[in-house]
Amino acid sequence: MRKTLTVIALLLCAVAASAQGSLTGGVKATVVNRIGRDPVAAAKIDLLKGSEPVGSYKAGADGSFCIEGLENAAYVLEVSAPDFVSKSVNVVIEGYLRDLVFITLTPQQSRREVDESNFADFDMDDSGYSDSPTILFGTNDPYNNVAGYGFSAIRFKNRGYESESQDVYFSGVRLNDALTGYTPYSLWTGLNEAVRSKESTNGLESSEFGIGGYNGVTNITGTPDAVRTGWRFSMLSNSALYRLRLMGTYASGELDNGWSYAVNVSARLGGNDWVEGVYYRSFAYYAGIGKRLDERHSFNLVTFATPGQRGAQNASTQEVYDLMGDNMYNSNWGYQNGKVRNARVRKTFEPVTVLKYEFTPSRTFKSATTLLWRTGSNGYTALDWYDAPDPRPDYYRNLPSYFYMEDEDYNRSNSEKAAWAEYAWTHRGDAYANYQHIDWDRLYNVNYNSPEGRSKYIQEERHTDQNDLNLAQTVKWLPTELLTLNAGLNLRWNRTENYKKVADLLGGNYYVNIDNFAERDFASDLAKIQNDLDYYLAHGEAQKLYVGDKYGYDYLAQIRKAQLWGSASYEKGGLSLTGAASVGRESFWRDGLVRKGLFPDDSYGESQKSAFTTWAAKAGGAYVLGSAHRLSANLGFFNDAPTFQQSFVSPRTRNTLVSGLDTRKTFSADFNYQFSKDGWNLRFTAFYTDIKDQTDLMSFYDDSQKSFTNFAMTGIGQRHSGIEFGAKMPLPVEGLTLSAVVSAGRYIYVGKPHMIQTVDNSAEIIRDEDVTYWDKHPVYKIAGYDADGTAIYDQDASGEYIITGYRQHYVPSTPQLATQIALNYRTNSYWFFELNGQYFAGSYLDMNPLYRTTFAAAGGDGVVTPQEVSYMAEQEKFDPAFLMNCSIGKSWYIQRKYNIGFSLEVKNMLDNRSVKTGGYEQTRLLSSYGKDRYYRFDPKYFYMCGANYMLNIYFRF
Amino acid sequence: MRARHIFFIAALCALASCQSLREEFQPVVTGKYDDPAKKSTVTMQTTHTIAALASRYKTGSPWTMDENIVISGIVSTSDKTGNFYKSFYIQDETGGMEIKMGKNGLYNDYLPGQRIYVDCRDLCLGMYGYKAGSSYGMGMVQVGFADPTGEYETSYLETSLLIDSHIFKGAVEGEVKPVIVPESQLPGNKDTQATNSFIGKLVTVEHLSYGWYDSWYKENNEAFVLLYLDSNRDKKLSSNRIFISGSSTGITTWAMSKEKMKEYLCSGIWDDVHIGNANDYTYGTVGDHRGDGTYPDIEKAAGSVSQYFSTPGGICVQVRTSGYSRFADTEIPSDVLSGKKKISVTGILALYQGKIQMTVNSPDDIKVEDL
Repeated sequence: MRKTLTVIALLLCAVAASAQGSLTGGVKATVVNRIGRDPVAAAKIDLLKGSEPVGSYKAGADGSFCIEGLENAAYVLEVSAPDFVSKSVNVVIEGYLRDLVFITLTPQQSRREVDESNFADFDMDDSGYSDSPTILFGTNDPYNNVAGYGFSAIRFKNRGYESESQDVYFSGVRLNDALTGYTPYSLWTGLNEAVRSKESTNGLESSEFGIGGYNGVTNITGTPDAVRTGWRFSMLSNSALYRLRLMGTYASGELDNGWSYAVNVSARLGGNDWVEGVYYRSFAYYAGIGKRLDERHSFNLVTFATPGQRGAQNASTQEVYDLMGDNMYNSNWGYQNGKVRNARVRKTFEPVTVLKYEFTPSRTFKSATTLLWRTGSNGYTALDWYDAPDPRPDYYRNLPSYFYMEDEDYNRSNSEKAAWAEYAWTHRGDAYANYQHIDWDRLYNVNYNSPEGRSKYIQEERHTDQNDLNLAQTVKWLPTELLTLNAGLNLRWNRTENYKKVADLLGGNYYVNIDNFAERDFASDLAKIQNDLDYYLAHGEAQKLYVGDKYGYDYLAQIRKAQLWGSASYEKGGLSLTGAASVGRESFWRDGLVRKGLFPDDSYGESQKSAFTTWAAKAGGAYVLGSAHRLSANLGFFNDAPTFQQSFVSPRTRNTLVSGLDTRKTFSADFNYQFSKDGWNLRFTAFYTDIKDQTDLMSFYDDSQKSFTNFAMTGIGQRHSGIEFGAKMPLPVEGLTLSAVVSAGRYIYVGKPHMIQTVDNSAEIIRDEDVTYWDKHPVYKIAGYDADGTAIYDQDASGEYIITGYRQHYVPSTPQLATQIALNYRTNSYWFFELNGQYFAGSYLDMNPLYRTTFAAAGGDGVVTPQEVSYMAEQEKFDPAFLMNCSIGKSWYIQRKYNIGFSLEVKNMLDNRSVKTGGYEQTRLLSSYGKDRYYRFDPKYFYMCGANYMLNIYFRF
Repeated sequence: MRARHIFFIAALCALASCQSLREEFQPVVTGKYDDPAKKSTVTMQTTHTIAALASRYKTGSPWTMDENIVISGIVSTSDKTGNFYKSFYIQDETGGMEIKMGKNGLYNDYLPGQRIYVDCRDLCLGMYGYKAGSSYGMGMVQVGFADPTGEYETSYLETSLLIDSHIFKGAVEGEVKPVIVPESQLPGNKDTQATNSFIGKLVTVEHLSYGWYDSWYKENNEAFVLLYLDSNRDKKLSSNRIFISGSSTGITTWAMSKEKMKEYLCSGIWDDVHIGNANDYTYGTVGDHRGDGTYPDIEKAAGSVSQYFSTPGGICVQVRTSGYSRFADTEIPSDVLSGKKKISVTGILALYQGKIQMTVNSPDDIKVEDL
């Protein structure tokens, strides 16, 4: 094909040569990439005379073209090529073959006319269990494009890191959640157009906005002049999350008078094909206005929010999924009056307002000042109940396994009752729906029957309402041609109110502000069971609650952060060197707004203030060899403060800080090799990261104590090492490319953390010891098996069991091996097709530390045996998964003004419904029949949905 | 033109996929849900009275009922205060019967005063609390489910479908009025619901004075509670049990919550109590486990207490109260403990090993009598 074209081009030129000096002439040139002057193969040349198309031509493989036999006149050459910005060239033909030598094309940043970024942004929302999608927004890097979106369905975590480690900036302000560190994508989901323009760095690289950590920096430009100019409308339908998204955008671009403005609105509505109860009723708006006063001063004012609600999904045990015959079963919903109602709904309205001032006094100095304010409310509903049966359909006592287990040691022997329970779960139809889902009608009836209409069941709404004020000042200075200096100051003031409020009394008249859990232990002590002791003392009774009233707990998280940072990069020839450092101070404290009956002296007012000095240092070097090869290496040290969320033993009830709080220390290094030439694009990275002194907190019911307890773990260590590889290569068929991506790592826990377990009701410390089997557990030598097939463990002369090795425990919920191979085909008529296959392996289940304690392995008799260790400490490894996905798209130009297009993606074409994406272990223990050992409760899982589609149709002008 | 066709088809596909929108949009559009209707109640034809059903029970032989038997009665107890747990009593004119439901917060769904029908087919009729011997006797006939372990004669129903297909809710007819049982009509140790119509019913017993002299063992009984060193271990092990009984237990409350238990234990009043069954005092005393004063080896769990009372004629009536009840730590009035005043008790009249036990719905059901 290519050969033929070249021959035709040459023939044309030959003909042209003989026709010089006449009334006709011609034009020839070579189309080249502006970067590197490499020829651009298969460029398309549309020839226009005025606005009349004259003809369409094609350049050869070497980028050259030659058009002959043209009447003398003025023409316009529209030169376009996939992945390049189109260019118009005016040319006057005057009776001879005009040689333009080169036509340079600029590579397109967003690469494609067909709008694939809709894929990339579309499902970055939470689908119920994680608010922090892991995503690197792809640039042209063949790896990042895939890791960012292609792996999102499996919940891939880049290099195994928690999403908190990725720095996300908006307009130059780091916006990771002040309390948790989570990435803040939920603030702007549904505003794809407004936040499309972004810059990102990889791994340890620094940016202009801040020095970043070890998992990249993404900055969303966010200003109106960065929104794509013109009108744009799109309609998206998908079967995995919500049915319909409607979006409209208008951006003026920068007008001659220096003003620019942009508006982006959207609505996401409906349910999906896979998870019943999950629905969206979310809206989003963005409005921005900017003014460039002159070359030096410019201002931008932006506000956006995503008001709305969405129903959440819940994890269940495999037993429940099997009974329902559906791994996508969601226990959060039930029928009310025959209508599906979800008990867990996220309701958010968190407007963000940004004021940005840029000052550019010279070509070598730039300053940007951004003030950003986040406020509003963030609520998450759940059922709450008082002295009434647990309303959750998949509560463990409703399952057959609660009545009967084959293993007699579980002491669950009533198979008839198990059969009754199984019958209720496995039969379909109205008569059984209320056993499989929440029975809302019953909850209402209980409330109707309650004396005085005191609600026994209500829907609560847990709030974390932030007031987050940020000031970011950055300067960029180029003192010489070779040196670039960046520096900045970040100030953050955060005050977040955490409380519950009554969302729905479910047919009752009021609810009462007392603590159910405290009542179990202190039923006869009326003062102790008060959530608001001062109210009780003033009124002589607990507060009666109505819809909208705050109750349960109410406290402020107060956080202050200041950071100063700077970076310098030196570039000469192919060599560049970068150094960066930051120093900061963070402090936080709890400010209780109610006095809790259990802790009258330690719940109201301000806690002790925790303060930490943070710092970071980075260095990197890169060397470009020729035009195609780039070698780089980076390393960094980080000393980060723990988050508020990790620092209080039981923030709902009291001011107590976790003892032994320390900064988290991280060392990270990477090495990269990149190659880019002739349509080939390749990156290889090796990385190593060591994280020490992390803190984790959980609260759960401890069966051995018959109490709700808090579990604080300090000194958690992790080590992440591995490689990333991404390659894109053109195939010998025009428009066809092959790409391959591999992420292979080893993300492990290192060392034994320390844990302190306290009783939530009394703050009594019940355990203070190391978590023995957290990072690994011993493998014992087996001497043989008894008649039942039970292992008999070998002992040495002194009676000790013989350890033959250790089983490593891994950082969970992400595959340690993720690969993709894809075929991509694009035509010059704007069609594109992609088919890819993905393979994931080495995903592990999130571990509950209780099961890794010596206590849990010992059981009721206090004796640790190899059987118990092997059973209790084992970490579940998920099965590998193979997935296939495809997409197709096309866009059309109508009258060169309107652009219409669609893209359709089908994910998980093989309809694989047995891919676990995550989950967690329960924290409860079950004593064996002989009370000599413990059994675990079954873990809960999330699964990936089966085959699903996403169709996007857009129109812009 | 071709382009427009494709666009048109694509748009049609999108619209078709939105077909289900109307259903999905129901909550999405309004964000509101209508209140469900009140659930209707049933009436059923009964086949047996409670006494007639109880008469079918043969001591030591739990019976999985393979006949059409429907009984009915009014709910007389409430688990609201926690003194009844996972079950309720129903009563008709002939007697009362415990229905072993096996759920918490039953009073929310089965209201005191509500008529209940029990379709007994496939359920199990059994007894709890029987002990052979002339100084012991009957327990209570109950309706539950078969217990294949044989540990008890019946187990709880527990599973929702099993409950809903056997226990039916009738009209709320009003809470039952307790009747006063004359001393002469109190049951003997061989009585059951089949032979004494007060058993299992909500009744009032008057003129009870604190303490009971056991002429068989020749000792005075005031309070009784059984503790475990570690309830996560085998509760039947003698080495795991502490019996606190007799006339010097120091227990002045109706029962003891976890906190109260801690208070009693740490005060040292039980230091001389032996660990182990009465015939097996080989494990030392409570005082041996004193430690730093917190008795670290002994579990502090709520304890259910039997407080002993006597009728004027010397019949033993235990008031049995759960350590998990809300009024567990309520003090018995000192005038009652000292014997100055008598009480009247309104509660479920039951037999345990031939002895009368009363269980009250609320502390208000125990009244100090004027002299």
